[in-house]
Amino acid sequence: MRWPRALGLAFVALLIAAPFGLPAFAMTLLTELVILGLFAMSLDLMVGYTRLISFGHVAAYGLGAYASGYMLLNTSLPLPFVVILATLLTGVIAIGVGWVCTLATGVSFAMLTLAFAQLLYAIAFKWTSVTGGSDGLAGIPRRAGPMGLTLLTTKTGFYYFALACLIGSFLLCRKLVASPFGAVLRGIRENEAKTVSLGFNTRLYKIAVVAIAYALGGLAGALYAPFAGFANTELLFWLLSGQVLIMVIVGGSGTLIGPILGAAFFLLLEHQLSSVTEAWALFFGLIFIGFVLFAPEGIWGLATGWVKRREKPLAKVRLRD
Amino acid sequence: MSTLALLLTQVVNALSQSALLFFLGVGLTLIFGIMRIVNFAHGALYMLGAFVGYSLAHWAGTFWLALVLAPLIVGAVGAAFELGILRRLYRRDASAFLLVTFGLALVVTEAVRLIWGPDALQVPAPKLFSGVVFLLGEPFPAYRLFLVAAGAVMAIAIWQALERTRLGLLIRATSQNAEMVHALGIDVNLVRSGVFGIGCGLAALGGVLAAPLVTASHAMASTVIIDAFVIVIIGGMGSFAGSLIGALLVGFVQVFGNYYLPDFALAFMYLLMLLVLVVRPGGLLGKEA
Amino acid sequence: MTDAGAALIGIAGLTRRYGALVAVDNVSMDVGAGEIRAVIGPNGAGKTTLFHLITGVVKPTAGHVRFAGEDITGLPAHAICQRGLSRTFQLTALFPQMSARENATLAAQARNPRRWLPFGGGNVFTQARRAGGAALELLGLAGVADRPAGLLSHGDQRLLEVAMAVAQEPTVLLLDEPTQGLSVEETAQVVETLSRFLEQSHVTALLVEHDMEVVFRLAHKITVLHRGAVIADGTPEAVKADARVQEAYLGGIE
Repeated sequence: MRWPRALGLAFVALLIAAPFGLPAFAMTLLTELVILGLFAMSLDLMVGYTRLISFGHVAAYGLGAYASGYMLLNTSLPLPFVVILATLLTGVIAIGVGWVCTLATGVSFAMLTLAFAQLLYAIAFKWTSVTGGSDGLAGIPRRAGPMGLTLLTTKTGFYYFALACLIGSFLLCRKLVASPFGAVLRGIRENEAKTVSLGFNTRLYKIAVVAIAYALGGLAGALYAPFAGFANTELLFWLLSGQVLIMVIVGGSGTLIGPILGAAFFLLLEHQLSSVTEAWALFFGLIFIGFVLFAPEGIWGLATGWVKRREKPLAKVRLRD
Repeated sequence: MSTLALLLTQVVNALSQSALLFFLGVGLTLIFGIMRIVNFAHGALYMLGAFVGYSLAHWAGTFWLALVLAPLIVGAVGAAFELGILRRLYRRDASAFLLVTFGLALVVTEAVRLIWGPDALQVPAPKLFSGVVFLLGEPFPAYRLFLVAAGAVMAIAIWQALERTRLGLLIRATSQNAEMVHALGIDVNLVRSGVFGIGCGLAALGGVLAAPLVTASHAMASTVIIDAFVIVIIGGMGSFAGSLIGALLVGFVQVFGNYYLPDFALAFMYLLMLLVLVVRPGGLLGKEA
Repeated sequence: MTDAGAALIGIAGLTRRYGALVAVDNVSMDVGAGEIRAVIGPNGAGKTTLFHLITGVVKPTAGHVRFAGEDITGLPAHAICQRGLSRTFQLTALFPQMSARENATLAAQARNPRRWLPFGGGNVFTQARRAGGAALELLGLAGVADRPAGLLSHGDQRLLEVAMAVAQEPTVLLLDEPTQGLSVEETAQVVETLSRFLEQSHVTALLVEHDMEVVFRLAHKITVLHRGAVIADGTPEAVKADARVQEAYLGGIE
């Protein structure tokens, strides 16, 4: 199976070449897609690889966005540093969140993640001096890089920066899930009690994966604030948590690539349907239910399954030769 | 206002809030106890109840008809959802239910927005209870007292129904051993559809009753689903008495927190939940950890 | 407890109450290194609870468990396993979607100090695969190693659980009813494999069983539990001859 790597590289090449062929509005959409894809992929570490369902992943997104927005507005740090700091901050806070949420399992875990996100939502409203209250933070600049590197202030430059973050995070996640740590996550996903009895302190692994997933979600948020130029309470609203969960499931959980495709599917559908009908979110809900019912493996699962079925007869023919 | 009168008003406020929360929590816990399904659409159905109630009240000109019909209509929606969708998922793992009911929540929320528009709607309180009552010489909305009474009556009615009637027996038996009930020749599927419908109907009842107090709005669904889960997690998943205790605790924490420390009211509720989860991970009256 | 110093596992006064029910009642026993000890008793005698207490799944109400001179009472399950006590469960507990080999590999990985490595880990995997593969070989599962665990026969699933415990190269192997739910033929096959393995490996083993034939085939010494309490303790012959044991099994004791 050499083709996935070739296909992946071709896809990356297309993304790199995109600014040369696409009009400005499409580049804006593509940049948003890259950021949203990163956000969805970060949740996949929890949902797809560890079966830790979170209803509050916006907490990571919002934390990252507010942190980077605040630093860009109130300090003179260059953009890449701000993004790294916001990512680390989200990850550190997530250690505490993970510690609390992993007191519970299953539904209670999901509700605790939601509760934490709602708490942040309330704080974002009340702590006006830092978050701007209901107005949020506006006019967030895309500041130059270190040593006066002005590339990042342009739309194209920022797109490449976001794309680099996505690809870097993807490679990191792939290493992570293929490592011994990732093998333990799979164990937790399939049978946590057994994993404990084998001698793994599963709670620590769960806290670690929550911290990593939140940090990467925070990275997506930290990119979003300078991309959109604002950070407001919309970024912490619970419906967005639901939407990102849908992207993961519809795209194909436990695959890393799937959630990115899910994000693309979501954004394109929103873009196409919202101009035709007001009811696009309703359709999206129905499509989501359809996937859970009939194709729980998601878009990526359907696609790879189709390829596998096509390959099997070929393999048999080769055997006969 | 005297301290005593103030305290009394707050207590009645908290009790009426608890009554609304109880309708939410008891439906959720009933569905979980019998079907092992966590219904994430519960808040959306509560909101649907409020909006359907609004339309019915306007159409019929009386709140009372809405109070009876809206829960029946929403209950039918719930039963249909169980028949058409949930039934296909009983062999899958629990996360499928969580996701599919979440999908229902989205669909209902969006459908309500499309049908009733984006604005909050004012539902007038029934004439009988639209006035004020004097408690220790202070005026107090009669509707809140009505809510307290309605909550108490329903709590006793549900408890008696579970304890005394054949249906209640069937429901309790199914929650303990569905296969056994099935082997006794009873249609478990029918019990499940019925229970899901009743649970959703109870949520809608809460929604209709809440509408005159808070107006029917889209924000209802999200705030209320979290309240409902907090109640059920505090009280213990699947425990009837637990949902009552949870509703009372949360109601009092919300009302008193809002009055004395409004900035931290929300945090109090979460801290309460956290405390319970740390001390008793299965909830106060929950069986499983 | 006279020879507590020599015992590998020393259990003293272990008790677990659930409300009014005493599931395990003041149980004391010592297991020496290299010994194969069976704990038997009728259904509900508290055998599995005793296992849960030793392995940290359930916390005792009173009493102590010492392992190799260290008090391990009340430690979390994963910490007890890390000290060298590996167990199987009465109801088969596996990772059903992973292959038998992956199951055994993950079990072996647990004993590597670098089991948590979040990147690379080639050496961890190589080592774990070697230990896991050897364990599969020992229990006659090499032929089905690449099948998903959930699709193995019941007998092979039970053996896979044992193989996972064995892959951890434990000091003590705790087997909770290894023939539970198996047909007569499957039981014979599993017992055959187990007895061959136990003879070869010289591992210390603690075995819960209610099938007497299995017990007499495998164990050096037997402890009999009835209603949570020890009613007899000794060699298979002595226990077989014990009147109280016969009564308990025939249901006469009140």
